Amino acid sequence: MSDLQTRRARLEPLFESARTLADAETERGKQARERLVASSGLSPEGVNLAISRCLESAPPEAEVEALIRSTPTAQVAHVLLSANVFVAAHRAIAIGLAASETVRVRASRREPEMAELLLARAPRSFQLVDELSPQAGDRLWAYGSDATLEEVAVTLAPGVAFHAHGSGFGVCVLDGPTPDADLDALLARLAEDVALFDQRGCLSPRVVLVNAGSGFARDVAKGLARQLEGLQARVPRGRLEASELAEITAYRDTASFTGEVFTAGLGFVSLGENASLLLPPVGRNIHVLSTTDVHRSLSSLRPLITSCAFAGSAQERNALRAFLPGARLCNVGDMQSPPFDGPVDRRDL
Amino acid sequence: MTRNARSDALHSAVRGFAAGESARTFEDLALEIADFQRDFSPGFARLLAARGAPLDCVEGIPGVPCDAFRLARVAVHPETEDRLRFATSGTTSGARGLHAMRTTETYRVLALSFGRQALLSSDHARARHVVALAPRLDDPPTSSLGYMMALFMVDFAQQDDKAPEHWLIDEHGVNVAGLAHAGRHALEADKQLVLLATSFALVSLLDALDGKRLSVPESTVVMQTGGFKGKTREIAPSELRSMVAQCFGISEQQVLGEYGMTELTSQLYEATLPGSVLEASRHGTPGVYFEPPWLRVVPVDPTTLKAVPPGEVGIARIVDLGNVDSALAIQTQDRVRRVAGGIELLGRAAGAPPRGCSLAVEEFLAAHSS
Repeated sequence: MSDLQTRRARLEPLFESARTLADAETERGKQARERLVASSGLSPEGVNLAISRCLESAPPEAEVEALIRSTPTAQVAHVLLSANVFVAAHRAIAIGLAASETVRVRASRREPEMAELLLARAPRSFQLVDELSPQAGDRLWAYGSDATLEEVAVTLAPGVAFHAHGSGFGVCVLDGPTPDADLDALLARLAEDVALFDQRGCLSPRVVLVNAGSGFARDVAKGLARQLEGLQARVPRGRLEASELAEITAYRDTASFTGEVFTAGLGFVSLGENASLLLPPVGRNIHVLSTTDVHRSLSSLRPLITSCAFAGSAQERNALRAFLPGARLCNVGDMQSPPFDGPVDRRDL
Repeated sequence: MTRNARSDALHSAVRGFAAGESARTFEDLALEIADFQRDFSPGFARLLAARGAPLDCVEGIPGVPCDAFRLARVAVHPETEDRLRFATSGTTSGARGLHAMRTTETYRVLALSFGRQALLSSDHARARHVVALAPRLDDPPTSSLGYMMALFMVDFAQQDDKAPEHWLIDEHGVNVAGLAHAGRHALEADKQLVLLATSFALVSLLDALDGKRLSVPESTVVMQTGGFKGKTREIAPSELRSMVAQCFGISEQQVLGEYGMTELTSQLYEATLPGSVLEASRHGTPGVYFEPPWLRVVPVDPTTLKAVPPGEVGIARIVDLGNVDSALAIQTQDRVRRVAGGIELLGRAAGAPPRGCSLAVEEFLAAHSS
């Protein structure tokens, strides 16, 4: 068996575990949903949507091969998982398995469920541990806030290769006006990108840049608010912590002062022009910014952008790809399901 | 009436109120100023409309979030009419905000009126010497604190506020020799020494002195203000008060706190200085800050923004009649509790902590401004 085939074989039990978990009709699928609702804070509909849209239980073979080829090998692969986006455990563990036959995973203490669920049907694929202690020659893939990753980095033994995937957020760029009928459909897809995981993921869009005049930006803001309102009825927002709700209140009032605010279900869409760039808190809130220079508006944000949904000309798409090498460039609606060819973002931290 | 005529009339009324010469109540003036700001501040008008509540009581006046000062101009008048622009330090939330003033007279009158009550002891009505543990004031001034310190130098001691020997932080840090000299000068001239300082400057001073004491008059008063904002090691306020008192050989009551913000025109003080007007009327204890009659702090729930019951912790909405041309009410993220007629300061409310890989708002602000 070739090296590629050997590494590919290690992934199969994990994929099979994800497939059985994704099926809502099975006892295992039902139990998984209950556990994920309890740990994630998402509504049952939110968990369902996340599993159906974002759990890559049968990724295309070409993507899997790309993931394996882009993953360096290690004597032991260690994986430190993050909270919030429970499906991310699947991709993170897959990268670990592509790297080594010995994979040790430490789940988020707040949200350990997904790793446990995956392990239950792939018990020999990886070990779930309480603490990671990588040695020289090992590799550690760590996901989480920048603060957590900094704490981890200073404790690492010499000779451990560290792959850090830290804090970030997604943006959407609408370059040029879109016909009304297309705009509704586009904003419906964007609303789903926002609502998935209640916007707690690092791929979740928080800002929309509109390069098509302030009137069109206002149409976008209003239309997006309408779509989020509709989504709230179908996929209700889950529970938020008191500090998150307080941040939303402060954001709503700040945005009301600096621009315009539209109610969007339980969240808000704010509208601003040029300099008044605002990062809304998570919980299905998004800022629409009218700009005449997308690149200038994004320039100071570049290191933080993980994902960029784009609608516009092919020429500008290529220019944006070059401008944001660390971000996944995708179509609107695909922000939360990047190709299964490596880590979710391309940033080299 | 034109905008500026209305503004001038309101400024005059507020100064009259502060002097006890106005028949109008705090509520009357607050509602008149809010009405004026609704007419000339589009941002405030939008905020008010978003709340959907009539402007018929002080409780209903929405606080403009401090972040708005960073993101937009918070003023009823155009930039061309700015007399001064004070900049926020910006170290907590990243980018700097601006508080533009069309007139400085109201600031001067209000700061001096309450500053005298808090910082001057009637036992020591004789000559004073005022120095600041702060960098020399810019020209034009951009620091509201520095501007206030300069006002105190001129008003309390008839000093030249431009003289470098009164500003005891330079590019090398705290000027310990300069402070020692000021102490000796006050002793020899039989003057009261008034030292105006930020908390982090006092910590730097204590570090530089390394346990040594400074000779100063026993009547010395130290005003400490502000947090640490990552500029030095942090010390609990009560401990800092004790260490400063020990360093100067004065009682802890002579070390009193001031609470102010660039976004405000007025200040709050502790009422501990023996013989001061404020101490005589409020009998304050350390850690309790008192509002002047033209300013009110309302602790509110951080999510609903409704006032919390007395004694419970909320974030401070501050209604400052001095803010005629900017934002009458500001919404801070400072945690406060109403106690014994005053306000206890409990530090800044932390934003939602980073969870997972989603970028926290505070992380964004820090990164976006750098």
